Amino acid sequence: MNRNLYKYILVGLCLVALFSCKHGEGEYHGVTERIEAESKNYHGTPISSEKYLEGLETIEISEDGHTFLIPDRKGQIKSYACTECHSKPLAQMQSKDLKKAHWDIKLNHANSNTMNCVTCHNPDNMDELKSLTGNTIDFNNSYNLCSQCHTKQFEDWKGGAHGKRIGGWAPPRASMTCVNCHNPHKPHFESRWPARFNTEKVKERE
Amino acid sequence: MSSNGKKWFSLNLGAKPKTSGGSCSCGKNSGGCGGNGSHSHESKEPQLTEEEFAAAAINASIGEERTKDGFDQVFDVKMDRRSAFKKLTASLLIGAGAVSTSCSVISGEDSKEKAQIDWEEQFKGNYKLMNDEEKKATVDRLVRSYQLRTGKNISMSSKNAEEDVLFGYAFNISKCQGYMDCVNACVEENNQDRNSQMQYIRIHEMKDGKGFNFDEADDNYYHEVPAEGHFYMGTQCFHCDNPPCVEVCPVQATWREDDGLVVVDYDWCVGCRYCMAACPYDGRRFNWSKPEVPEAEVNKNQHYLGNRMRKKGVMEKCTFCVQRSRAGKNPACVEACPTGARIFGNLLDPESTIRWVLENKKVFRLKEDLGTEPKFWYFMD
Repeated sequence: MNRNLYKYILVGLCLVALFSCKHGEGEYHGVTERIEAESKNYHGTPISSEKYLEGLETIEISEDGHTFLIPDRKGQIKSYACTECHSKPLAQMQSKDLKKAHWDIKLNHANSNTMNCVTCHNPDNMDELKSLTGNTIDFNNSYNLCSQCHTKQFEDWKGGAHGKRIGGWAPPRASMTCVNCHNPHKPHFESRWPARFNTEKVKERE
Repeated sequence: MSSNGKKWFSLNLGAKPKTSGGSCSCGKNSGGCGGNGSHSHESKEPQLTEEEFAAAAINASIGEERTKDGFDQVFDVKMDRRSAFKKLTASLLIGAGAVSTSCSVISGEDSKEKAQIDWEEQFKGNYKLMNDEEKKATVDRLVRSYQLRTGKNISMSSKNAEEDVLFGYAFNISKCQGYMDCVNACVEENNQDRNSQMQYIRIHEMKDGKGFNFDEADDNYYHEVPAEGHFYMGTQCFHCDNPPCVEVCPVQATWREDDGLVVVDYDWCVGCRYCMAACPYDGRRFNWSKPEVPEAEVNKNQHYLGNRMRKKGVMEKCTFCVQRSRAGKNPACVEACPTGARIFGNLLDPESTIRWVLENKKVFRLKEDLGTEPKFWYFMD
């Protein structure tokens, strides 16, 4: 008698288990499971964002297995190459009788104990940047300079969690590099007023 | 008057026929090609199994409504007298208009064509059940109708979901500064009603240390941002994989596409707002009045399921900018965000940046316990 009861309960439980797995959404328990299953035989799509990158000068970089495009920098700096003006050593150029330059640059990046101009710029070769240890860094690869301190941001940027895509979501991936969003001399974002205010919402909630 | 394999009756009003609706390539002239786009690969299988499959699917899902489309779906159903009269009156008005213009010797070719378009649009079927030719035909009609009414040209797409694509979104709470550039971009891209200031996106200003407290959050702030001691998070349609809004729609005017986008057929929506009530995220908006957009500001790059002009009394919502995303672009909000807080991409591509975020950052979703399976994740630096 008791044994029969157990049997019924067991069968009942099995049935409940069988049917409780049936959600409305079909084959998968959740979207994570769906992504895992359906991306197993991912063949790529014909959608490309290449046409949205036309007219943009880019360079391809490869860091830690992430290969993607970033905008060319040297072509964007107005007065590059720097040596066109910086023809003499810095000490001579700072003399009074020469025309003043870079008055608009005020360094607001870390404190003066940590950084000054020559932390990143090489006074002996103004056309290149330099690492903390004195190695040469190309202006196009300036992210190598930033990543010396901002290691976490660098990891996120490589993966795509920090920064912004150019063109679209579709491959090939093109991402902004650090200096496309942050002014290296003043890297924080300014506070400002929101782009809009919804007056109708205020009326609705009165 | 003829119906050459179309799902609705056509009036021949003397205007030259633009496109022939044509019957479905699979030989059936009702019920679409044995299902929507997702089942198109099914047709390679033997005839019998396909039919069996279709029949089973029909019965399991919606019964007889599935086999009827267009004219039949409107009229060949049991209905009470009141709704029958309502439908007949609406149709008669359009019919009368069509007949009067077609019989009139004074009215020009243009108004005849307009009446013809109105007629065909009135009796077209649910977009979900249309085959590609029918989709193209309705889009062509809408473009032509807009041209006749305003004299301006728009481009409208009926691009279907691409295979191996599932759209997903990630939002970085530590990056958002509350500038609302995304909201601006969204309104402009999606031709939202300017009078009621409809917005799909809400940015919530939340107090630090209080968690996600929507009761105390402010989604309509106007002061310098970011405000001291606050953080910002945005909500919009999350394009749930198990969307409750789709479940409750009595006329199946909203559904989940194969690339995961939850869309609305504005011409099939009856405006009951069940979906609005069912959505736990306040993702849906209703047009209480006729949406107005100044002609100069109308975004003319449109998609049938996306930013084409809506009418009074229908639902609308974020579509992840279907007109952009299916073309490979990022949604307007992603492109407009100055802080890079918004990340969009293909969840099925293991190399995509959205996948890297999901696999390497600590992500969560809103009200995960509801089982709605949103494809919109939040994360922090």
